[in-house]
Amino acid sequence: MPSFILRRLLHAIPLLLAVVVLNFLLIAFTPGDPITLLVGDFPAPPEYLDQMRREFGLDQPVWIQLLRYLAKVAQGDFGFSFANQQPVATLILERLGATLELTLTALAFASVMGIVFGVIAARFATRSGRSLVDSAIQGASSAGYAIPDFWLGQLLILVFAIWLGWLPSQGNNPVRGTLPGFDGFVQHLSYLVLPAFALSLRYLTLITRITRAAMLEVMHADFILASRSRGASEWTVVVVHALRNAAAPVLTVIGYNVGFVLAGSALIEAVFAWPGIGRLLYESISKRDYPVMLAILLMVSVTVVIANLVTDIIHRLIDPRIERA
Amino acid sequence: MADPLASKLLSQTMTDSTQDSSPLPLTRRQLSLGALAIAGSLATSRYGRAATGKGTAVLAIDADPPTLNLGTTTDFAAGDVSAKILEGLVWLDPQYNPKPALATAWTVSPDGKTYRFSLRPGVKWHDGKDFTSADVKFTLLEVVGKLHPRAAPVFKGLGLEVDTPDAQTVVVRLQKPYAPLLSQMTVFDAPMLPRHLYEGSNIGTNPANQKPVGTGPFRFGEWKRGASIKLVRNDQYWDGDKPFLESIIFQVIPQAANRVPALQTGEIDELLDFYTPKPEVPRILADKNLAARRGVNIPAIYFLMFNTQSPLFSKIEARHAAALAIDRQRLVKQAMNGIARPGAGAFGDGFKWLFNDDVSYAKKYPLDPARAKALFEKAGAKPGGTTLRMPFDVSRAQMRAQSQIIQDNLRQIGIEVKLEPLERSVYYDRVFAKRDYDMMLGSYFSAGDPAIGYTRLYNSYTGTAPNTNASGYSNPKVDDLLARAATATDREARAKLYKELQVILNEDLPTLVLFDEETVDTASKKLSGVFPALDARDQWAGVKRTD
Repeated sequence: MPSFILRRLLHAIPLLLAVVVLNFLLIAFTPGDPITLLVGDFPAPPEYLDQMRREFGLDQPVWIQLLRYLAKVAQGDFGFSFANQQPVATLILERLGATLELTLTALAFASVMGIVFGVIAARFATRSGRSLVDSAIQGASSAGYAIPDFWLGQLLILVFAIWLGWLPSQGNNPVRGTLPGFDGFVQHLSYLVLPAFALSLRYLTLITRITRAAMLEVMHADFILASRSRGASEWTVVVVHALRNAAAPVLTVIGYNVGFVLAGSALIEAVFAWPGIGRLLYESISKRDYPVMLAILLMVSVTVVIANLVTDIIHRLIDPRIERA
Repeated sequence: MADPLASKLLSQTMTDSTQDSSPLPLTRRQLSLGALAIAGSLATSRYGRAATGKGTAVLAIDADPPTLNLGTTTDFAAGDVSAKILEGLVWLDPQYNPKPALATAWTVSPDGKTYRFSLRPGVKWHDGKDFTSADVKFTLLEVVGKLHPRAAPVFKGLGLEVDTPDAQTVVVRLQKPYAPLLSQMTVFDAPMLPRHLYEGSNIGTNPANQKPVGTGPFRFGEWKRGASIKLVRNDQYWDGDKPFLESIIFQVIPQAANRVPALQTGEIDELLDFYTPKPEVPRILADKNLAARRGVNIPAIYFLMFNTQSPLFSKIEARHAAALAIDRQRLVKQAMNGIARPGAGAFGDGFKWLFNDDVSYAKKYPLDPARAKALFEKAGAKPGGTTLRMPFDVSRAQMRAQSQIIQDNLRQIGIEVKLEPLERSVYYDRVFAKRDYDMMLGSYFSAGDPAIGYTRLYNSYTGTAPNTNASGYSNPKVDDLLARAATATDREARAKLYKELQVILNEDLPTLVLFDEETVDTASKKLSGVFPALDARDQWAGVKRTD
């Protein structure tokens, strides 16, 4: 196992290098100048623009900028944000916690509820071919998968924040000050509910469908017939025997989607004014804030690599046959 | 006496709600308690400062400002936050009169070239150091004069010099007179910065840009990036018992659609026009818990700029045809929800004192599609065979609505318009750097004087900087008149020059002004004393909260 992990990590290095170079070049050849966006809506003196370009190294040819950037990243320096006038690392670290909280909550919720709904759908699908519960879950998951999450977010704000007034519409904490102790925690959770749900729905429905399909496949296997013939209750058969064997594809989908959830949080964070790195990415794109964009894209790439690795490790743990193969 | 400042005649209509200074009916008991409180605060002020302010105001901003050093940016949100922390030598009241801020008095020499400011004694920076004339000199010469996007080119052109005969006196000398100098001595164009923190450092990356130290009514508190910026009361403020608020919090609300609901549910207490989506304005005006200030405060014009180097618009007939074909009333009604005034001339009619009614658009270019069609054909356009490219900044919702109305107007006379909604940086590149367009939508803010904000629309310009004259129109007579209108010190003389300019520009029409923007700034009625200044972001020391 350790040699497997090491091998996979070594493989990741050229991949990440390619990600950085490709992103850098894509951004460099996109029209738009961060400096003109920075100075506001009055024409700045050319000397000032030149000075700013020199300060940020933007007066150099692209390939020199790229080499400099790579050298700095190798040393753990992600550069200086033009638009925020802060070191990129500081900027990202300040906001990383909020994003992790949102994405992990969304992913955990999507995984748990997706598996539950998938199992229920599979359980009813097997009994009598066509079932109302199965059809309802399948229909709802198709619809849920098709709804764009930023649109869903705005709809949730309209209903739960504006019409009903149950939940706050934006931010991650009340700006006027938080309540002390447990009340403050509950208050904070009320800010998390809508964005986490909006972000999770797409993955929840996806996991539901994958779980259902994987379960149905397993349900026809001989060991299921065997456990039924031993007299196990249908729920025992489904949850204890079938689910463990259906877990591999479900885990793959969850692991594979970690990167998408992280990237998807950009729009959700923008809709809900959630102060995380997703929104930072969204803002840095419109402001052509290259160093911030590159660092976040790199971070997402690293997360995807790690998530895939962890998925593979878990696979091997729950199904030893993979290691031997 | 210099006459830098525009007209008192500027129309400023106020909604009824703003004139109502006591929005809540008070009982006798509340009144007597209030009287006691006032007596109490007077008593405190006689012997020293009141210990604390009361309450917090939450104000919306659209994004984290790039910097809080107002000496190097015209970013709106940066101005919103920093105008409460920093101060200029003067501030402007709604009638454009300069009022004492860090300068208590000033005189201007008869030739308009020497300004002598007496500074307010006893003012301290938030870190406890004394504010002196050396800070003023440093700010004007080393920061604003070099790095302020709006003021630096002006100050350089004027050859501005600063003397400090003593710690409380500043003498500003110009090589030629400049009418709007005093209106550029505000916190937005010349915010006073502490020399002891900036001198000898890289001003662009100085840490004080993120945690500003000023002389203003509020001190910088805490910046939670992406979420909020908190300011706290400056207990050492120079102005009596002010400020009355204990703290101000700026909440970052990136989605325009979320801001009005936040205001209506009391999450925020103030929403300025700049952040307000226009279609929501009727809802705001109808809300009894909100007080709105509506009118043309600081004029800003929206325009259609023609590329006079393009095949069609190089011909004056085509530009006249567009002016006759585009329905400016409909733009105001549909694109701006009526919160604007139809374009009246080369400088709009926001500055009443310079408006030339004799050559107004209303007289020269009434809506006349038939004549427009004939003129377009005379200029070489073929009905059904001409397509014009019209880029605009996609982040501005009003521009999209305008573009569709213009497209519809021109389609009716056989001209196709290809709408090109571009991301701002791409729009800058296409229009200003490459000039690769036929006509484009834009808007320029006057910043309180046509010489500051509107000269750039018409003077000859060959560079690539955004927000300039990218029409390719260059007329030495116009350049000369614009320069003289900026340096004349007498209002009458300036008005005459601007009127003469309108005769030329309304005819040559390198740019068609579509409308003058009206603004609607809104605050919760729980706040009193809001918007005492021309710029709604300014003068928050006197704002009170009553809950």
